[in-house]
Amino acid sequence: MPITILPPRSSRPINSNNNSRLPQEDASSSEESDSDSGGGVDLDGDVPMRPRQQVRTTFQARPPPRDLASAVVTPGEVITDDPQWMRGHGTYVAPQTTAIVSSVAGTVTRTNKLLSVRPLRARYTPEVGDLVVGRVVEVQARRWRVDVGSTQLAALPLSAINLPGGILRKRTETDELQIRTFFAEGDLVVAEVQQLFGDGGAVLHTRSLKYGKLRNGVFVAVSGMGGGGGVVRSRRQVWTMDAANGGGQVDVVLGVNGYVWISKHVETPEAEATAAGGSITNMEESLSATVYSSQNDRIEVETMREIARLRGVVMALVENGLRVDEEMVIKGYHEAVEMAMVSPEGPDDIYLGGEKGQQLAAALTGA
Amino acid sequence: MASSQHVLLSPAELAYLHASLSLTPPIRPDGRSPTQFRPLVAETGILPGTNGSARICFADGTEAIVGVKAEVERTAQRPGEETVFLEEGGGGDGDGDDDDDEEGETGAQGDRRKGEASWVEMTVEIPGLRDDDSGTAFLSAMLSEALLADGEFVKRLWINRRFHWKLYLDIILISPPLSYPLPLLSLTTHLALLSTRLPRLKSEGDEDPFFDDDWAAAPYLFPRSSSSSATAATNTTATKQPATATRPPITLLVMAFGNNIIFDPSKEELAVADVALAVSVTSSNSSSNSSGDGENDEAASAGGRSLRLLSIRTIDPPSRLTPPGVPNAANAAYGAAAALGTQKMLEARTAETEAVEGVWRAPRGGAKRMVLGALVQKTLERGGVVDEVLDALEGVDLG
Amino acid sequence: MTDRRRINGPAGATIPPIFDDQESQEPKYSKGRSRAPNASRKMYLKTGVTPSASGSAYLEIETSATPDVSGLKLSCSVHGPRSLPRSAPFSPHIVLSTHVKYAPFATKQRRGYLRDPSERDLSIHLETALRGAIIADRWPKSGVDIIISIIEGDQDREASKLQGDEVWDMMNALSGCITVAAAALADAGIDCVDTIAGGVAALVQDAGDDSTPSIVIDPLPSDHEKVLAACCIAYMPTRDEVTNLWFRGDLPASDMDLYTTLVEKGIQASKNANRVLVNCLSETLE
Repeated sequence: MPITILPPRSSRPINSNNNSRLPQEDASSSEESDSDSGGGVDLDGDVPMRPRQQVRTTFQARPPPRDLASAVVTPGEVITDDPQWMRGHGTYVAPQTTAIVSSVAGTVTRTNKLLSVRPLRARYTPEVGDLVVGRVVEVQARRWRVDVGSTQLAALPLSAINLPGGILRKRTETDELQIRTFFAEGDLVVAEVQQLFGDGGAVLHTRSLKYGKLRNGVFVAVSGMGGGGGVVRSRRQVWTMDAANGGGQVDVVLGVNGYVWISKHVETPEAEATAAGGSITNMEESLSATVYSSQNDRIEVETMREIARLRGVVMALVENGLRVDEEMVIKGYHEAVEMAMVSPEGPDDIYLGGEKGQQLAAALTGA
Repeated sequence: MASSQHVLLSPAELAYLHASLSLTPPIRPDGRSPTQFRPLVAETGILPGTNGSARICFADGTEAIVGVKAEVERTAQRPGEETVFLEEGGGGDGDGDDDDDEEGETGAQGDRRKGEASWVEMTVEIPGLRDDDSGTAFLSAMLSEALLADGEFVKRLWINRRFHWKLYLDIILISPPLSYPLPLLSLTTHLALLSTRLPRLKSEGDEDPFFDDDWAAAPYLFPRSSSSSATAATNTTATKQPATATRPPITLLVMAFGNNIIFDPSKEELAVADVALAVSVTSSNSSSNSSGDGENDEAASAGGRSLRLLSIRTIDPPSRLTPPGVPNAANAAYGAAAALGTQKMLEARTAETEAVEGVWRAPRGGAKRMVLGALVQKTLERGGVVDEVLDALEGVDLG
Repeated sequence: MTDRRRINGPAGATIPPIFDDQESQEPKYSKGRSRAPNASRKMYLKTGVTPSASGSAYLEIETSATPDVSGLKLSCSVHGPRSLPRSAPFSPHIVLSTHVKYAPFATKQRRGYLRDPSERDLSIHLETALRGAIIADRWPKSGVDIIISIIEGDQDREASKLQGDEVWDMMNALSGCITVAAAALADAGIDCVDTIAGGVAALVQDAGDDSTPSIVIDPLPSDHEKVLAACCIAYMPTRDEVTNLWFRGDLPASDMDLYTTLVEKGIQASKNANRVLVNCLSETLE
């Protein structure tokens, strides 16, 4: 069947994400360390919104030291007029008053005496230490400008990458002249946020074996999901997993900014070096050999198929408003493999759009 | 300024796409089969203020709305044609939807109904693009070309010798263009035209037209055939001649990659295409067409519609503008020491002429005519994609 | 709001009358094609006509035998390759921009000075055709502008009905544009994989609605009673590749042979034009 045309649903179009948003909310906010249990957050409101209701029940269920004083507020809504609170992001203080008013629609979070509102949907706001996937959009004299899905392009200075040619060394004029041989426009890099500017711009670095140019795989942008959105900050953003159906090993990089990279697993230079019994210098050399390459390795058909399936899982998670992290992706992937086993097209059926995606999401939330 | 938008992808991504799409069968990034379309949500009659409207939303979030408005306009009289005076009119056969009359007359005194391309005005609006952007002009030219190609459509807008309907088709892409929007806009336009109704004419002959103000009695611009049982029940009152089942055209985007032919390519797939074509097709069961009557009958007896090819355009694939990959052999940042200048140049030169596996190179030159032929053939084959798409579109409820 | 300061014409469109000078509903010239179905019109092509441009060419197509039908006259100038403005993003390829404009007096209906949608459409077609021929990665970070003025279009001044004809004229104009642009590009010394030329073939009906349609190359719409379908092809003979295919008309989909023949004939027309192009380029060198 080449085309499926569905009748419209009553309220929102397909890629709505209002359903089962809760696990994500739960997971992300449980990492906040809220210690103060003092009130002051206006939880009353006459708009019966489901997320708030449920958040509130979880809040009541938790012990007081770890309470979640979160509720959905809208711009202009007074959060508190108690002067003991400090205003944070997403709020402002109305002139001549002490009232803290929300300036975005989102959930209230509290850190000690600081009140801030996390928007429900927003672009990525970088934080130091975030692992991000970005695309080089501009090459300047001594740095690259990288699109990380934030309000500002991030900067990757030439001094913040590992230069080829063995041990860590200073950059030279030659490096500046051939800056485009390292990263050019369009290249994808995985990097870490090293520093933040006041205007929200980030400075990245790739001074680690884990970071560098991305090859051998596919890119998915999970955008418009807000505050790191579909991808949530978690313990591990990068992992290697065994693919089914003889697909070998597959690497998944979930950038905190919502950019995802799925690729064939290639033995790291580190492992190669130890296998060959090489020295540290050898390791450095082999590092520089592959880190700036734009040539793909040979990839088997089975691996490609599983990579496409994983991409489908990520897209299905996003389209159905589920969080994207290691646990969900792996669970979803196994579910997808099983679904394909029983599908009439056989295990090679990797399509996970439309109804199949909903099926997958239902299976995941039901479990 | 190209006919399709430029996408920024890294050479490694392009090489991967190249590798996965050149397999048989190809592995598309979203797992679809080569002929599969993205799932979509469609509805018609969403704008009560229009004569016909439709909305389509693709699963990736691209969404388009089309509104059709009709106005009565005086037909400009041309010298050399028989000038019409009011007294003289009085054919008595003008009933707003007299296609069968027309067919009867065709042989006797020539085609009485005439249409002009200027009776249809089509505008395409794409957010983020200027009104006078060439890409928008190209899109709207392509869509209106398909509509006007056979000259039959504008004849439907004829009221009498002094008046005609002027049809305004306004196509608006609501979301940013996440992929080349041609198939989306074409399908939406198709549905909007299917749901378009013009008021029933009450006047006769060449007098100033006046219309029945009962909207329920307004006939469809494209009368539904009685055979499509799914929706016929609601509109049988409006349809008067079940013989014609001509449909508005649809334009499909097809791309070739190596030996693979892929329908409805996404943005990424288009970025590695060897060649991309926009093929406009319509279906008709009417026997009023002068050429190929025998084939039509044959097709009708074969249990289906007969397809007609209306237009083909080459879409400039963005693949030619993609950055080339650098093979490891010629990469200055590859290996511990940078190669010597001359040697590097030599290597770079061989790299330009020879394809290295796993390295992306932008395609150069055009397409073999065999490939183009195969693309068109695959699109038009009986029981193929077009048939299925038309079937699916017919299943959409005309609200 | 009406304009009360001037005396206005009647509302609604009118067309100035043309008076018949003889007892004539009949056209003055005999309709019909004087060439063989496989013959193109004669073509004059010359490069280097605009010394100030990097490359230029002029193309003229033979005026038809009938006196009031003018032939196509095109002039093309190529500016570049030149460096992109500082504000432009980096490009690993040459940035091609095409610009096709009818002179205001080129057609029966006067054209404005601003490019209308059909002219924009033509420029896109031209760009698609040329992009496949140019070796774009030889000229990184540079741009080239190709500007074509259609000084005179293929127009039949006597034809009273406008219907449909302009569309077929556009195809003729496009094929001329492709050929002249290829000559100008070669004159400018921009690397191309092959010489590219345009050709048009059409399926026409000459004797009433019931006659058998025939295929002709390089058609003049005024020569034929009805044009059923036409295609314009940009073709590179050495590589045997098509970079642009534009088909329009109404063909039964079951009859692929008709379509294939039409395309083949278009390629043949393009080969004819290509011979002129190659000759012209080699003459320039002598």
